Amino acid sequence: MAQDSVDLSCDYQFWMQKLSVWGQASTLETQQDTCLHLAQFQEFLRKMYEALKEMDSNTVFERFPTIDQLLAKACWNPFILAYDESQKILIWCLCCLINKEPQNSRQSKLNSWIQGVLSHILSALRFDKEVALFTQGLGYAPVDYYHGLLKNMVLSLASELRENHLNGFNTQRRMTPERLASLSRVCVPLITLPDVDPLVEALLVCHGHEPQEILQPEFFEAVNEAILLKKISLPMSAVVCLWLRHLPSLEKAMLHLFEKLISSERNCLRRIECFIKDSSLPQAACHPAIFRVVDEMFRCALLETDGAPEIIATIQVFTQCFVEALGKENKQLRFALKTYFPYTSPSLAMVLLQDPQDVPREHWLQTLKLISELLREAAEDQTHGSRRGPLESWFLFIHFGGWAEMVAEQLLRSAAEPPAALLWLLAFYYSPHDGRQQRAQTMVQVEAVLGRLLAMSGSSSLSARDLHTAAGQGTETDPRAPAQQLARRLLLHFVLWAPGGHTIARDAIALMAHTAEITHEIIGFLDQTLYRWDRLGIESPRSGKLARELLKELRTQV
Amino acid sequence: MESLLQHLDRFSELLAVSRTTHVRTWDPVTVRRALQWARYLRHIHRRFGRHGPIRTTLERRLHNQWRQEGGFGRGPVPGLANFQALGHCDVLLSLRLLENQALGDAARHYLVQQLFPGPGVPDADETLQESLARLARCGSAVHMLRFNGYRKNLNLQEDSLMKTQAELLLERLQEVGKAEAEGPARFLSSLWERLPQNNFLKVIAVALLQPPLSPRPQEESEPSIHKTPGEGSQALVHWLLGNSEVFAAFCRALPAGLLTSVTSRHPALSPVYLGLLTDWGQRLHYDLQEGIWVGTESQDVPWEELHNRFQSLCQAPPPLKDKVLTALEACKAQDGDFEVPGLSIWTDLLLALRSGAFRKRQVLGLSPGLSSV
Repeated sequence: MAQDSVDLSCDYQFWMQKLSVWGQASTLETQQDTCLHLAQFQEFLRKMYEALKEMDSNTVFERFPTIDQLLAKACWNPFILAYDESQKILIWCLCCLINKEPQNSRQSKLNSWIQGVLSHILSALRFDKEVALFTQGLGYAPVDYYHGLLKNMVLSLASELRENHLNGFNTQRRMTPERLASLSRVCVPLITLPDVDPLVEALLVCHGHEPQEILQPEFFEAVNEAILLKKISLPMSAVVCLWLRHLPSLEKAMLHLFEKLISSERNCLRRIECFIKDSSLPQAACHPAIFRVVDEMFRCALLETDGAPEIIATIQVFTQCFVEALGKENKQLRFALKTYFPYTSPSLAMVLLQDPQDVPREHWLQTLKLISELLREAAEDQTHGSRRGPLESWFLFIHFGGWAEMVAEQLLRSAAEPPAALLWLLAFYYSPHDGRQQRAQTMVQVEAVLGRLLAMSGSSSLSARDLHTAAGQGTETDPRAPAQQLARRLLLHFVLWAPGGHTIARDAIALMAHTAEITHEIIGFLDQTLYRWDRLGIESPRSGKLARELLKELRTQV
Repeated sequence: MESLLQHLDRFSELLAVSRTTHVRTWDPVTVRRALQWARYLRHIHRRFGRHGPIRTTLERRLHNQWRQEGGFGRGPVPGLANFQALGHCDVLLSLRLLENQALGDAARHYLVQQLFPGPGVPDADETLQESLARLARCGSAVHMLRFNGYRKNLNLQEDSLMKTQAELLLERLQEVGKAEAEGPARFLSSLWERLPQNNFLKVIAVALLQPPLSPRPQEESEPSIHKTPGEGSQALVHWLLGNSEVFAAFCRALPAGLLTSVTSRHPALSPVYLGLLTDWGQRLHYDLQEGIWVGTESQDVPWEELHNRFQSLCQAPPPLKDKVLTALEACKAQDGDFEVPGLSIWTDLLLALRSGAFRKRQVLGLSPGLSSV
């Protein structure tokens, strides 16, 4: 408590100084500085109120002799009065100074003075004499018409902005850059006032004719903050304009999304989908510039976490939401695919962007083969200066979970000889860095595992241990190695699909999951598979039920 | 219902008193009661906002009070003049009391405590606190927009300050018209005597150019409560036509373009406007030495202004334009149908208008063919 009180005194000095410099915030510098400090000042006011409300008027002045000056200065700064709840808290503070029973003339004078300040705060509509006389003459008080007046001013400014935007040639009616900048500063404290939304929208969407950005960064930051905290609702076009004009806002929006994803329950794709859709980023990403920035941030996240499966899953869900949003866009306004994936061949991009839902089931195998071919071509492209190559190709491929996760399933579900293209694709997906020889070896191993598993699929009595051996597990290799991961996948797919699989599922998993990490991996797999099955409707009731039960059980274990 | 009406009466009295020094006698109990009554009426407003009969009854009562206090011609408008005002009667009362110097210390202290109880205090009237905070916030918003972004719109009818004043005027006129058929005329006359006239005239012009009043959101569900919109405009037109000195000032003070728009929109005004212009024109005589038309007295409208107005009228869409030209031709004929300048002001005006139009067509690159002038 004592420390708090010392802090308060320090803060008090700081804010007293600031307020003195700001005055009525009539210059560019004072306005900018005020905008930067609005939130902190409000916090300070709250703390002051908490301290003041415990004291009576005399004690207040003993503790803070210049409190009246501080509060008065704050009241004369319209930016402060316009911000969020500051005006309310200021009033509360002022009320703490009132003497209930004034003993002398000084205290009476103080009471009158406070009353004057309160009136000032509440009678904020100070106008030309003529307007005031007119409205009074009609019998209206400001409370009757302030709302209509604000609306008229906002709409008038918004339409002026729109005209300015469209009327490039009429220099007489242009809005000067200074006025635009000034308007954007003035909007900073007002962002969360719904009446001002049309003006905010117009400022974002109408970008005038200067080559450089005129609007103040504080404005963009304030709008972005309000959007992320859901304190303002703007149409998508305005949000896109914001993110296009002010890159830090877009980055902040992505980071905000990442934070939400990190702090939420692990391995729940449905929830991830909710967060992603909620962030408006997929719709915004329909604009290629935004897509590229978002993609770049995903790539960085992937590199930093060394290819963490959670990030891959997030990228897949995001891309799926993005493709959905793209589909809803006006066909005429669509950008070419090349603008989203400039380093990819158009044919590959087109194939990958197809939703498996839209492709007839019989053609899935064919599509995967085509993907494999094109991808292999890109991945093995050694031409100097080419932006293709294994890592780029792999990064592209992992976007499309619908296809990427289908490969293993397709391989297991067909009794025929596994096509080399699919084997390659699977090996590539799990281990993009491999050289030709290594990959060829992996392909051979996978083929062998598939063979063994398929041989066992017919038998009615399976043993978990047999399965385990068939999948090549239990050797001394590092369980985190891609090949082991791949083997686990095949095993799990098998367990879910094979007729006898459900009886040994739990044993098989128990054998596999000897670390928490692997358990999480299995949970992730189950969640993702169920999510995918839901979307594509390829679930069989028995497999679905089994998967759900397993998922539930495993979740309680970690 | 009767008790509700009595409540209303008593609260109106209270509201009127809250501005006077009579509040010196008020103690915290009185203040509490006043605030309670206000809260009750606000609740009534919320409850019966969509209930036609009750609304109408309450409104009629309020209008009766207004009429009794001196009718719509004399005296100030009471604080509660319509049903709408009940929605924030607590704010009205609170602000009046706050600003009243005569309120005693104890009562004032109690009032302030009630208005601003602080965060999360139980039993407090949270809505009143929020309303007051919002008023302060929006007031600041208006202030900032006014001094940092607002620019007076040269097109008066689009200027937001003018528009707001015009909307208020039309609203009031509509109410007064509902309360009493002759109300608007008397009301407007009293305003003319009391208010700054220049601003008033501008507001009237802007009001006459407003699109028809759309019903306010709360009242949307009961269209029968409003008569057809545009009543306010009609009242204005009638009043202007019935008050020649006002109309003369109206035509004198306002810019040509604005008057043209007004007259186009309200054809009833055009004969009188034209009549005025004709009168003004006839007061001018030709000064042979200077070669221009001048007036005899200082308040005579000079040639340039006259020309300006006619020019503006000739740019209006028909039928106004045609009416104007017909009138001019008729005046010219009356004067003797001269073609030579310097003999009849109407001839000269028509000549000036034609050449002005000709020049304009040249500038615009149109063919110098038969202009419609």
